[in-house]
Amino acid sequence: MINTAKRFAEDAVIMVKKKNEKMNAIWLEVTGCSGNIISLLNSENPGLYNILTDMVNLTFNNTIMGAEGDFAFEKFLETLDTEFILLVDGAVSTKENGNYNIVANYKGKKITALDAVQMAGGKAKYVVAVGTCASYGGISAAKPNPSESKSVKEVLNCPVIKLPGCPCHPDWVVGTLAHLVSYGVPELDDEGRPILFYGVTIHDTCTRRGFFDKGIFAQKFGDEGCMIKIGCRGPVTKTDCPRRKWNGYVNWPIGDNTTCIGCAQPHFPDDMEPFVRY
Amino acid sequence: MSKTITIDPVTRISGFLEIKAKVKKDKIVKVNASGLLFRGFEKMLKGRSPLDAVYFTERICGICSTAHAMAATLALEDAMKISVSLNDSYIRDVMHGFEFVQNHLRHFYLLSMPSYVKISSINLVGEEQYRDYRLPEKLNKKIEEHYIKSIELSRLAHEGLATLGGKAPHSHGIFVGGVTVNIDAYKLEKVKSIIKNIKSFVSTIMREDVEIISKYYSDYFKKGKSYPNFMTFGIFDKYEDPDITYVKPGIMKDKIKYPLDSNKITEQIHYAWYKRDEASVDTTRGALGHWILIENKVINHYNIITPTVWNLSPKDESNIPGTIERALLGTEINNIKEPVEIGRIIRSFDPCVSCATHLIGSKGNPSVIEILV
Repeated sequence: MINTAKRFAEDAVIMVKKKNEKMNAIWLEVTGCSGNIISLLNSENPGLYNILTDMVNLTFNNTIMGAEGDFAFEKFLETLDTEFILLVDGAVSTKENGNYNIVANYKGKKITALDAVQMAGGKAKYVVAVGTCASYGGISAAKPNPSESKSVKEVLNCPVIKLPGCPCHPDWVVGTLAHLVSYGVPELDDEGRPILFYGVTIHDTCTRRGFFDKGIFAQKFGDEGCMIKIGCRGPVTKTDCPRRKWNGYVNWPIGDNTTCIGCAQPHFPDDMEPFVRY
Repeated sequence: MSKTITIDPVTRISGFLEIKAKVKKDKIVKVNASGLLFRGFEKMLKGRSPLDAVYFTERICGICSTAHAMAATLALEDAMKISVSLNDSYIRDVMHGFEFVQNHLRHFYLLSMPSYVKISSINLVGEEQYRDYRLPEKLNKKIEEHYIKSIELSRLAHEGLATLGGKAPHSHGIFVGGVTVNIDAYKLEKVKSIIKNIKSFVSTIMREDVEIISKYYSDYFKKGKSYPNFMTFGIFDKYEDPDITYVKPGIMKDKIKYPLDSNKITEQIHYAWYKRDEASVDTTRGALGHWILIENKVINHYNIITPTVWNLSPKDESNIPGTIERALLGTEINNIKEPVEIGRIIRSFDPCVSCATHLIGSKGNPSVIEILV
């Protein structure tokens, strides 16, 4: 199970070597906390270095790239005329024509997040929404949504692959990216999420499922039992967290005696709150 | 003759920042720093369940979310008059400590090093915009290898955090009343082994790299100087044992230390918040404050002042430049076509603009929002 992303990545690396050409990719940080790129830095199957040297040719990313200013944004513009994958990290602010989030000032012209997503989204071979903000608006669009943030899909007229999660697990991105460069678009559900990673609810494979079936419920954090009565969103949240786990596959929120807060769900956080019920 | 240099995006920081620097006779004479993202967390928090502030405020920032979990939890404990056991305080500090280490490793290698060391093996990082690379080939190659190695170590710091907090970024586990993790032998040994690995890397490899950079770029000891004033809210300081106590709250003015008197923190910030429940704690980048007002069981008001708000604030009402602006003023630019100095100085503060959530109102033009970063 936890090897799914790794296996695709290995296939991708072999295919890239055979073709002797890596597909370009842009990782565009927009209206969010840039937590999805930080999560990608935590990838280990393969690690960041191998992703960048063997799998795709990332040409633009605010957090990692060497260049700055106009020189950096030119890399973004140059990529638009090639075959590339657009990965968007964050929602898209639309308030005041997008002026709540400016991603570059190129030769005196302000480029808003909205401009950048539309410029690249219209030309990309694949568009991937990485994280809950890009997929659904997420916390950036939480009520009263002061920045009028929207999901990537809402500001584009093209198919968008959604990889929700706050943040997105590195395996979900890397596995999808590997699938795109080697086999094309993975099988998606009605919402545009790869079934491979988002096929079943947390409750389906939860390590505490046995308690639920026997009717044993936790009353507070730290109690034995299913946490549904203190607000666990596992029954509605579709991700493979219970089996994959996080950060070196070492732990996950329910493994830490806390409720799932439904961070990969549409309408997170507003409809997933309260996160804990006491 | 003067020329204005605009750097936007200032890459290799967390978030969106624009710097405009006016250069006259090779010297920076005017600086404008602008934060370019506003989401309005303080507005969003109004009306929500107080306990949700812990996970909610974490999402201000992808690189330092645990700091916000700490501050929110401490503010809630202040409001609810809850005290935490010593053991839980230790575990929290270890979690927060892992986040410090993750941040510092990433700041030093991933964010700062590409300005000093050519990272040629990764296209994205190795684009040659400037030519001021001074290391002999052999040393350059060595630090490039360490850059690659550091990716593993900073990842490991997050693994340590997740061992105790479920996942990272946006960890669970720090909560009102203590921590949720049940420490067992496996977790204890796992955490200890991660700390040992990181410690070995930092005390040998990273330390040597700092020395190499210091030697070849020694002019930077004199560049980017700002005010001789410092402030800490204290960190890892709630213990009686001096061996594990790190920094007590305090300020330093012209090299003299004084205790911190938080009532003297400017009126604009503090006046309105007097008597509110609060938490102030140092985090990776400096002093972080969360202020909360709970009414009818929901958040009525939430105020957040992040470290980058202190460091990257624009000119105040009396036109005194902010800390980073001051650091840039007077800086000599060697080659106006390659103003590498500006980015190096800005990154030395490790700005985190995602965190800078604070809005101070608009002036006249409705399409311009002024953001205090």
